[in-house]
Amino acid sequence: MPGSFCVSLTCSKDNTDKATVGFVVANAAVASDKDTMVFLSIEGVRLSQKGYADDIHEAGFSPLKELMDNFVKAGGKIYVCSPCFKKRGLGEDKLIAGATIVGGAKLVEFLSGGSPCVSY
Amino acid sequence: MGEKWDAGELGCGELLIELAGRMRNLAPGQVFELRALDPGAEEDLPAWCRLTGHALVSAQHPVYLIRRREK
Repeated sequence: MPGSFCVSLTCSKDNTDKATVGFVVANAAVASDKDTMVFLSIEGVRLSQKGYADDIHEAGFSPLKELMDNFVKAGGKIYVCSPCFKKRGLGEDKLIAGATIVGGAKLVEFLSGGSPCVSY
Repeated sequence: MGEKWDAGELGCGELLIELAGRMRNLAPGQVFELRALDPGAEEDLPAWCRLTGHALVSAQHPVYLIRRREK
């Protein structure tokens, strides 16, 4: 069954529960053969930095880094909101594998293709 | 009968991404035995099979038999 799926994630260490569940659902989507994108914006962009997620481990879930690694390994894409990224002074040289900095047009294009989107 | 896996308490995307990887390693038509204790599995696994095209041969929670799709 073809199709796409978007998870919009606005949290990182300000709400590790949301950040974790966002990637759990993204893993469910990519494991269900959906062309899946996690769109990181607002505080969520911090997750795009190497090492940042290493100490996030919500009770009852796998460590966030493991969830993110599995997502990328399964073919999931991570898009990072450019203005949110720049505002926080984050480093392009510290981007994790599978993450790409994009503008809003990329999100609009993805969703305009008919993709459903869930936000955390 | 083919491979089997005891997923324990794993659920939701954590269960599915591991399951998807294990199903990929099977030959087409091979049946996989999954044991999944997560209460969400009863609804999630039939949905996942519908989404992916694998066949849910039997669902007697917590044991599920899933036949790998042809492609």
